[in-house]
Amino acid sequence: MELPYVVVIILFYLGIYTIIMNKNLIKIVVGVNIVESSLILLLILISFKLGGTAPILDRKYELVVDPIPQALALTAIVIGGSLIAVMLALVIKIYKRYGTLNVDEIRKLRG
Amino acid sequence: MSRVHKIFRKFYKIGLVLFLAIFLLFIFDEIQNLDIKRYLSEHYISEGVQETGAINLVTSVLYDYRGFDTLGEATVILTAAATLSFMTPIKKVKMLGTEFTIIIYQTIIIIIPFLVVLGMNLIFFGHISPGGGFVGGVILAMIPILVTINYGITFSENKLKPNHKSLLEGIGAIGFILLGLLGIFAGSNFLASGQANFGLGNPGELISAGLIPYLNLMIGIKVGAGLAAIFNSLIKEG
Repeated sequence: MELPYVVVIILFYLGIYTIIMNKNLIKIVVGVNIVESSLILLLILISFKLGGTAPILDRKYELVVDPIPQALALTAIVIGGSLIAVMLALVIKIYKRYGTLNVDEIRKLRG
Repeated sequence: MSRVHKIFRKFYKIGLVLFLAIFLLFIFDEIQNLDIKRYLSEHYISEGVQETGAINLVTSVLYDYRGFDTLGEATVILTAAATLSFMTPIKKVKMLGTEFTIIIYQTIIIIIPFLVVLGMNLIFFGHISPGGGFVGGVILAMIPILVTINYGITFSENKLKPNHKSLLEGIGAIGFILLGLLGIFAGSNFLASGQANFGLGNPGELISAGLIPYLNLMIGIKVGAGLAAIFNSLIKEG
């Protein structure tokens, strides 16, 4: 087991732990962001080859890293950014309506 | 009683997370020892430059082999910007402002032309060097964001009106689809540039790779306008 995969697992479950343990909505959004970061790191690790060059073939090359996971990582980054923006806007709306960010209090108020 | 219950629930959650982590550890161990031959990526590496004309393989995967994916990403950004624009008020313009020193105001004026050049370089050279439409669009979107932070939202929206931003975003989206339709008119599939033989040219030159530079330009316009609109909608709420 190589160390980077362990780092991916630690980051992923740190994000999951943040989501399920915190009551503050902003911290839940931060947890979602941490989970996304771990997934992007996993995609880069899958494409990595020891001694490979970047997939830009402008000179002689011997070994090139896999270009497909890098393109998928770009997709993940873009979708993650849009998702975080929409989540933050919803959090702002919730705060304006209920006056609190605590999940339990919002559930008690209910409308 | 209640306190014991709370502590029990906390340890239950921590144990659940640790159990799932150990489970994932075994799965990754399996993935790592898997010895598979990646036929698709080997095909892209060996034939991709001849087939698409772009020497940046990530760009060729993103805009030629998987152009549909990129259209989906563009739709996601469009949806996010539209949602945020619907959720925020149009008229009420107010934000928390701070006063900066004159050094920061003058530095922003000097920085902006360099940001334009850097963003345009990343967009137009996306198929022959690192970069691309998404990164260049983000750099271009930094200009309205910097202006908004430093000079206030009223000044920023006078300079670049929200209507113009949504118009630019629409131009990007519709241009991407129209360029994709060119592939159908040439007798091939939707969003095909390498298969339809759009003058691939010599790989490594600026005007080469068929439709890829124009698709990059459309995505750059769209991402830049979309991110600027998202930021202004988020900051307007305060």
